[in-house]
Amino acid sequence: MSALVDYLISGLAIGCGYALLASGFVAIFRVTEVINFAQGTLAVLGGFVASSALTSAGLPHGLAEALGVLAAGGAGLLFGWIAIGRKGTPPLASLVITLGLAVAAYAAEIAIWGDQPISYTALPGDFVLAGAHLLRQYLLVIGASLVALLGLGVFFTRTYAGKGMTACASNKFAARVVGINVRRVGLYAFGLGGLLGGLAGVLLIPIEPLSFNSDIGLAVSGFAAAIFGGLRSFEMALVGGVVLGVAEALIAGYWQASYQTVVALGLMLLLMIWQARGRMELA
Amino acid sequence: MRSATAVAWAGGIVAAAVTLLLPLWLSPANLTVYTLAGLYAVTAIGLSLLMGYAGQASLGQAVFFAIGAYTVAAASLHGVPTALALVAAPLLAAAVAALVGIPILRLRGHYLAFATLAFQLIVLSVISNTAFLGGGIGFAAIPSLGVNGAVLTSARGFAWLSWAVTAVAMVLALNLIRSRPGRALRALATSEAAAESAGIAVVRYKLAVFALSAGFAGFAGGIYAFFIGYLSPDSFPVELSIEFVVMAVIFGLGSVWGALLGAAGISVLVQVLNQVGTAPGMPEYMPTLLNYAAYGVTLVLIMVFLPGGLLPALRSLWARVAGRRGDPGGPVGPGQGAGGPSAVALGTALASALRLSPAKDAGEPTPEHARRQ
Repeated sequence: MSALVDYLISGLAIGCGYALLASGFVAIFRVTEVINFAQGTLAVLGGFVASSALTSAGLPHGLAEALGVLAAGGAGLLFGWIAIGRKGTPPLASLVITLGLAVAAYAAEIAIWGDQPISYTALPGDFVLAGAHLLRQYLLVIGASLVALLGLGVFFTRTYAGKGMTACASNKFAARVVGINVRRVGLYAFGLGGLLGGLAGVLLIPIEPLSFNSDIGLAVSGFAAAIFGGLRSFEMALVGGVVLGVAEALIAGYWQASYQTVVALGLMLLLMIWQARGRMELA
Repeated sequence: MRSATAVAWAGGIVAAAVTLLLPLWLSPANLTVYTLAGLYAVTAIGLSLLMGYAGQASLGQAVFFAIGAYTVAAASLHGVPTALALVAAPLLAAAVAALVGIPILRLRGHYLAFATLAFQLIVLSVISNTAFLGGGIGFAAIPSLGVNGAVLTSARGFAWLSWAVTAVAMVLALNLIRSRPGRALRALATSEAAAESAGIAVVRYKLAVFALSAGFAGFAGGIYAFFIGYLSPDSFPVELSIEFVVMAVIFGLGSVWGALLGAAGISVLVQVLNQVGTAPGMPEYMPTLLNYAAYGVTLVLIMVFLPGGLLPALRSLWARVAGRRGDPGGPVGPGQGAGGPSAVALGTALASALRLSPAKDAGEPTPEHARRQ
């Protein structure tokens, strides 16, 4: 029983991190139709900046993490400017550009932070639930993710900028007709994706040390969660992230840790193929 | 046009002679780079057919390279004649691609890109957990390629083998794109619905070109295993797949010559940077850093500023220079497509229509993009 609780809570925490990454994919894709392959890179950058702010600059917790998230948001804006800044770049070319950005970021990350995994402790200690000893960091991840996703919901339904983004997502032409600069909103979407990725990074890095090339695993997991909602729904991205995180934790716990990627990725493939079948029948 | 063809033929012959003679004076380290460049070129040519002509993105092409390499390693270490193992490598890679392609090729664009990436990660993970395939440690002491007791051991021999295979791959690819299936692939890349209604068996063609590209990668991977002599799952990371994409893209997606130049150019660039990075006084991580920077920055710069690749940009520059000189024999404007039997010639091949990997769900194309197509 205590083992099950352990797997469920840790899976839930990791899954919330995936949901944040997935929300970043969704935020960017809805507006720009670009898959930001560098989404994992943004998480790694956020985590690294927060770690440097803690250890080198000696900033207190909270401020350091906020700095990491903001830095990732800035990097997201920069990536967006490069990927969609030029008029007429088709989405698949933008995907390849973000791929190149992810690889180029490796060079920058190695130059600044070296090639060893980095971690820090944010919320030390553990707590006991139903006989299971759990990291308190899990609670922080779950809480912060849910607050961030709720905030995202408020942003999209209650604020002018958020409504503008939704408008661009549902009909670009009509959005342009009412005077929205679709390309600029696309850039904001990249910035938002950066903030979400950075938040995932600063929350996950205390649980699982990140190195410069952790981005691929993070990006693939986030993408897998995002396709639960067809890359368009934030709610389904949360569901997808949690399902993926808990499934991975259960597989690692009850079967074998090395199979968790295979099963998670296999699940993603099956889901994609199943969704494609639906589209074909419609067509 | 005739004088241009003659120039192109002469250029081609010179290039072939240089390719043949280079191994005679290259240093051992550079000879390794040269050999690997040929193997990467074979893979990039296959990827160019898949991405540039059929319009299907693959971010997992290294998996077929790995399947070829593992086929050779596992078979020859279990006593299968090495030549037979090398024949099996592309066949198995192509068979796996055909099998996986049936469900996966239903996906389009970004989805296919991520699916191929996921497939590579799955295969690598399975290999790491399979004792029969060497697990996480991999295989060492793979015997070298031998036929009838004659064993290929010299580095020069491998260099020639690698580039001979590249030449065969080029001929196959160039013939394919000028044939009826080649035109069918181009058609389905532009619009699957239109191609389907014109009687093209879209699913079968996509599957065939996916298997063919995997076969190219598998054969290259097989030679790689003989050449390097050891391998592990870490030999075929996702970065390798991305490197193949860079090679296929930078000189112009949709041109097999572009893929060849891309593989050669990137290999030279990386080797030069490697020498810079290993110079005394440089930090230990410098070669890795420069390697990533080379791939990443090149890819971003090309895709942002010359999304059609380097070749069309050079071609229009050449056309402008030739036009100013009033030379009627030079290649004409960029609108000219490939065609005619003389297309084998370098000049005309350079003029083959270059376009960006088509994004069917891309929304409205801008005039600039439409013109390029």
